[in-house]
Amino acid sequence: MIEVSNLVYEYPTQRALDGVSLKVAPQTITALVGPNGAGKTTLLRCLAALETPYDGQVTIEGLDTATSPREIHALLGYLPDFYGLYDELSVRRSLVHAARAHGIAPGAAGAACGKAASRVGLADRLETPAGQLSRGLRQRLAIAQSIVHEPKVLLLDEPAAGLDPQARRDLSALLVALKDGGMTLVVSSHILAELEDYCSEMIIIEDGRIAGGKAVKVRDVERPRYLLEIATARSDLKDFLNVRAGLDVIEVDQHHALFTFTRNPSARAKLIRDLIGAGFEVSSFGESTKALEDAYFAQVAAS
Amino acid sequence: MNPEFQRNLWLELAPRRMILMIVLLALGFLAVALGGSKDFTVGGAAEWLFYLIVVVWGTRNAATAVVGEIRDRTWDMQRLSSLTPGEMTWGKLLGSTIFNWFGGAICLAVMTFDTLTHKGVTAAFADIVYYLAIGVIAQAASFLASLIAVRRRQAHSRLDVFVYQVVGIAAAVAVNSVWSIADPATMHLAHVVGADVIAWWGMKLDARLFLLASLAIFAGWLLTACYREMRLELQMRNGALVWLAFLVFIGVYAGGFDAWLPNDKSAEGLDAVSLRLGLAVGVYASLTYLMVFLEPKDRVHYRWLGSQLSSARLGAFLGGLQAWMMAYAATLLCGAGLVAWMLEHYRDMTHAVEVAAGLGFLTRDVSIFVLMRGLPGRRGDFAALGTLFALYVLAPVVVKALGGENLLILFYPQAMPLLWIGPLVAWVEGLVLAALALSRASIRNSPAGRSQPSPAS
Repeated sequence: MIEVSNLVYEYPTQRALDGVSLKVAPQTITALVGPNGAGKTTLLRCLAALETPYDGQVTIEGLDTATSPREIHALLGYLPDFYGLYDELSVRRSLVHAARAHGIAPGAAGAACGKAASRVGLADRLETPAGQLSRGLRQRLAIAQSIVHEPKVLLLDEPAAGLDPQARRDLSALLVALKDGGMTLVVSSHILAELEDYCSEMIIIEDGRIAGGKAVKVRDVERPRYLLEIATARSDLKDFLNVRAGLDVIEVDQHHALFTFTRNPSARAKLIRDLIGAGFEVSSFGESTKALEDAYFAQVAAS
Repeated sequence: MNPEFQRNLWLELAPRRMILMIVLLALGFLAVALGGSKDFTVGGAAEWLFYLIVVVWGTRNAATAVVGEIRDRTWDMQRLSSLTPGEMTWGKLLGSTIFNWFGGAICLAVMTFDTLTHKGVTAAFADIVYYLAIGVIAQAASFLASLIAVRRRQAHSRLDVFVYQVVGIAAAVAVNSVWSIADPATMHLAHVVGADVIAWWGMKLDARLFLLASLAIFAGWLLTACYREMRLELQMRNGALVWLAFLVFIGVYAGGFDAWLPNDKSAEGLDAVSLRLGLAVGVYASLTYLMVFLEPKDRVHYRWLGSQLSSARLGAFLGGLQAWMMAYAATLLCGAGLVAWMLEHYRDMTHAVEVAAGLGFLTRDVSIFVLMRGLPGRRGDFAALGTLFALYVLAPVVVKALGGENLLILFYPQAMPLLWIGPLVAWVEGLVLAALALSRASIRNSPAGRSQPSPAS
């Protein structure tokens, strides 16, 4: 879907991206993480064909940003970190304009506007001027403008910045829904916690380079990571888990185990039954919520 | 309908604003009519109001059409739209000024009625073309200035917008001044060929027709330039052919006005070929100065050009040349031709030597602009202008005051007893500075580091 090969981007006195190569698989949500100033925004803007790289190649759906920028623009939705809205236009007109500007026929623009507004929860505010929306609602409108034409690729730069917890949760649900609907998403952030909920791949960018040289798989949607805790230490915990079909142990000691296992509820219920049946005093069992953070620090430490 | 034009219609043509415009204009015309002044008729008032609404106010709106989007952080979304550069150009240019054209159309209707009543159909038609052209040219010039400035990636203050507006107003003043040549009442250039006829390439052409055609052609070039700048903003590439075609056009166009040159010492004894080549060189040099001042002098782009040239990718290299580079090459080419012609046809080599020295100083001056680009913000360009002011004005005054008139050849073309010393000095200065500029462009502090965050991150 997205392929970047030896991408170099230079500012007059500094190389911002230095030989970046990566691949993003279709219908995934990839986190682009790294410290401030690492080159995340520059990379996203190069992916969006908004900047001309000094060297290297970016292709999206087989189209080269250097030779087919407008065709790529038509495939994309992009939400910059600092975005603006037409404050005097209503939500409806903002979305109709975005739809029409992205090539949706006049007759279909109204329906596209309605669908995008519903997806972001703005269907009841279509006649409200954008300038009168709260920060969270403005963010929703900006996202709606980015997806109104059903892009194949959605690039989001710090999309949850400044959002309250409920709005962040809504955003996570929306992004997962978009991915399930067929979109490929790349989300940039330097706050790992906000990416945990929805990212399956992670690209760590540091000093203009990809740490570790490639994307890191942080979550398998079908096989999440689970964290198990038992109240009484058992030296045979590792052996017990290792022989379970479909279970892959990542880390284990006498009290804890981190492993990947199927998301299937029946299989999980059976695993818990077996553990209890074997005399393990299960005090906690749940999906690990630190997958991305663990992967990040492991990768940074290794690079 | 073009979605960008539609968006502007939503914003600009609110019924309340339109009614207000109609009422204010009607009251204005009524006041003038009731005033009964012979010097200030309703037609005259309509003309002034047209200039005020379409030229002065319209250029402001055209200048902010894209700059305002950047300020409001909506431009990236526009750049990612599916609109073609042509749709984006006319949608923004006409859309952002549609309210001005609404008011202007009312004024134009009043003017046309006045002209029809007093001067007839032909004059009314010519006036309509003129007023439409002056509005389009002024607004397109402001729009173009803002688009060129946008490529420099600078924040745009109110003063910047005012500068872009002034470019448009200056274009309108130029159009008005040229148009007044054809007005028998003004007789500005009667000493040349008379007000009804214009001499161009030895032909005597109807002044009004020639100027109308010129206005239409220049308006076309301006709109083409806007379109090409918009292509760049939308990440598309421009070839060199259109700018080269413009250089050929402007050289031929300007070269035809040799009969207009004042018959003073500077042109004394020169034949038509020298005068025409001289006019072309002058226009090309002016374009070089204008474009090297306006265009972004991006060190990364110069490095990229160098890498394309060194790897023999000539197509990419030529496609990446900036307008000032091509104008500079045209100046050198035409200037060399002029020098060769003069050496062949004149015993007195003074003019040839001055032209050769002038080309050397041009090389020095553009190198100064490129060298100064390293300074942050706009300071580089203004530092370059300040340096040129010092070289052409301040230093010569000091040198003259100290009695060192022979040293003036260091600053600008001068006739000296030893004829070729002037061009030699000029070219040594030019080449040294050009070498410096090229070497500075290749400097890069790499690689990136967290201690030096990139501007876009």
